[in-house]
Amino acid sequence: MPTNAIFTPSSLCVVHSISCQFQVSNQLLFPYNPNFGFVGARKKIKVFPLKASFWDSIRSGFLKNNTAQVIELPSKLSEEEEPLPKEIVLIEKTQPDGTIEQIIFSSGGDVDIYHLQALCDKVGWPRRPLSKVAAALKNSYMVATLHCIKKLPGTEGNDQKELIGMARATSDHAFNATIWDVLVDPCYQGQGLGKALVEQLIRALLQRDIGNITLFADSQVVDFYKNLGFESDPEGIKGMFWYPRH
Amino acid sequence: MLLHGIISTPLPSSIRLKSSNYPQNLTITAQIPTKKFSISDQDLESRGFNLRRSISDLNLDHLNSIFVAVGFPRRDTKKIRVALENTDSLLWIEYSKTERPVAFARATGDGVFNAIIWDVVVDPSFQGIGLGKAVMERLVEELLQKGITNIALYSEPRVLGFYRPLGFAADPDGIRGMVYSRKQKNRK
Repeated sequence: MPTNAIFTPSSLCVVHSISCQFQVSNQLLFPYNPNFGFVGARKKIKVFPLKASFWDSIRSGFLKNNTAQVIELPSKLSEEEEPLPKEIVLIEKTQPDGTIEQIIFSSGGDVDIYHLQALCDKVGWPRRPLSKVAAALKNSYMVATLHCIKKLPGTEGNDQKELIGMARATSDHAFNATIWDVLVDPCYQGQGLGKALVEQLIRALLQRDIGNITLFADSQVVDFYKNLGFESDPEGIKGMFWYPRH
Repeated sequence: MLLHGIISTPLPSSIRLKSSNYPQNLTITAQIPTKKFSISDQDLESRGFNLRRSISDLNLDHLNSIFVAVGFPRRDTKKIRVALENTDSLLWIEYSKTERPVAFARATGDGVFNAIIWDVVVDPSFQGIGLGKAVMERLVEELLQKGITNIALYSEPRVLGFYRPLGFAADPDGIRGMVYSRKQKNRK
């Protein structure tokens, strides 16, 4: 059901640490587990059986003793706004050795499925046939990615590009969109990237006038999505699944 | 070559396959369904209801009036057309006497893993006779045939009892359906 309310998002600020150490412990991972049974826990990574995958980033972004670099993104979305750039630099930092590291959001859907498989392995998701994954991405209305680009000093054009996050949405191109498969590389969690990923995906969808954006959230991450503006069971409307396995 | 399929039309009780007609390593597995749908295609047809699966003959203004009759907001038919053109599976029932749609359901998704069912409606004058069940059962069957087993939908509270007997469960394992609401972003 499309709404015509004026949309005024709060400003999108990503605050992060310039320290080279990334926090990995105490992170909860929520793998997407559509066709498989429960995946056993791995060391330091908790795995939950779910219909859709989510990343807990509520504690992200506010680490102590950091020299933070804030990237502030335009805060108003109006009809006159120019089309969103396909690529947005979320974080940029320069390391002591001169390496420039950028975290870039893109809604262009440029995903190497082998890199995606490696990323899914990293978060502990069961493997899915690559041909099916490729088809699912191709049939998705929007595929959003996070890449980490490292520009080493003195090297020209030899940038390292790494896929560190992804989220996708299916849609009927007119009324409804549903977000699936949200994941962020464990090495990059804890910085607000999952939040930024979903926020940018929402912005891109709203800009295309898709009024009804939905998803299915495991109980542990309902608050994460509430924080992003999602409401559970609006007006008592319930999400239902056909013979769920678990 | 392995041939494995569910045969949807009733077969004679004895099936004779002459091995000389087939390659040596052919195996045929036939399942004769006892009761596939609550109401069969023939039953529907005999009562004047035709099952349709494409939008080519679907009058969107008629469809829109059903949406409005059941309480959906009236939507732009141009947008409805875009939505239907970008819908993987849909089913509608036409009442042959009036040649108007009386029931409808559609599903979007990625065609491989997930599908969401939207816009399940039955014209109020035709409710209560099994048409909603008919479209839902067939839509789910079509999705399953495509290999999609993660089938979800959003149900208004008053029709939870309609979806349950069809095999749908609400909030399995505490999973919640959520909708983005621009009015309450970052509400703490």
